[in-house]
Amino acid sequence: MPDTEFNEEDVLTRASQGDRDAFGLLYERYIDRIFNYVYYRTGNLHDAEDLTARVFQRAMNHIQNYTDRGVPFSAWLYRIAHNLVANWHRDRSRRQEIPINDVPILPSKGDHPEKNLVHSQEQDALLRLIRRLPSERQNLLILKFVENMSNAEIGAIMGRSEGAVKSLYHRTLLALRDQLGDQSINLDGE
Amino acid sequence: MAKSKMETPNTDDQLFALEEHLAGTLKPITPPKELVLRLRDRIRFPQPEEIVSRLGNWRRLFLVYGGVMSGLLAIITIARALFYLVGRRQM
Repeated sequence: MPDTEFNEEDVLTRASQGDRDAFGLLYERYIDRIFNYVYYRTGNLHDAEDLTARVFQRAMNHIQNYTDRGVPFSAWLYRIAHNLVANWHRDRSRRQEIPINDVPILPSKGDHPEKNLVHSQEQDALLRLIRRLPSERQNLLILKFVENMSNAEIGAIMGRSEGAVKSLYHRTLLALRDQLGDQSINLDGE
Repeated sequence: MAKSKMETPNTDDQLFALEEHLAGTLKPITPPKELVLRLRDRIRFPQPEEIVSRLGNWRRLFLVYGGVMSGLLAIITIARALFYLVGRRQM
């Protein structure tokens, strides 16, 4: 989104003074990103919708507490989302009702159906492995690949240095590769 | 070090391939338009938890209680006045 028409600082000031229209602008700007994050962390649309709503409700109720200390507003929102998703996982593990592998794969445009089928099986397997990773490693992969963030931006959200994020990313890739090997999963689909 | 022993050129290729698969799997999703609108509506109105938390604020609770009692008093006074006037006219 071009920043020429959207002065985030100004909008944040207005939103923190209770201006709901200003908060609406923030909502429009960040809804896709927060929804994506929550969706990949929960694995289903219904819970993603519910948790995304709660993220923005909580943000709206506490926006007067947000102070810009070099941490972008998006980082603050992601932290709220992270906390709510963590609570959601904790409650869910206590109840143990629903299996954890219900992430639907959305087909890409222009692919052949057979190719899509193989791709979706590979992607299913990979997503299942990702969802077994520790929470902060899942966060890292989502922020890196879904949100296309740099290590520095991810570090601001996760409260880690850029180097620490780089190192964690490398260890995550190694762990994923080993798990793929352990389970004899071939991502080339042959 | 274990890390240097493990990381051969083959490992780099494997990790590169894995990164490509991750990029193909973890794609951004555009939430459906109706979902965005529905969420916007949900956010605009206070949720039950918010109402409960507002009631936890004793000052606000006092104001709400005072408002309700004043309203009731006003209704009773008007009803009594009407009853008195109608009663007098019938005498």
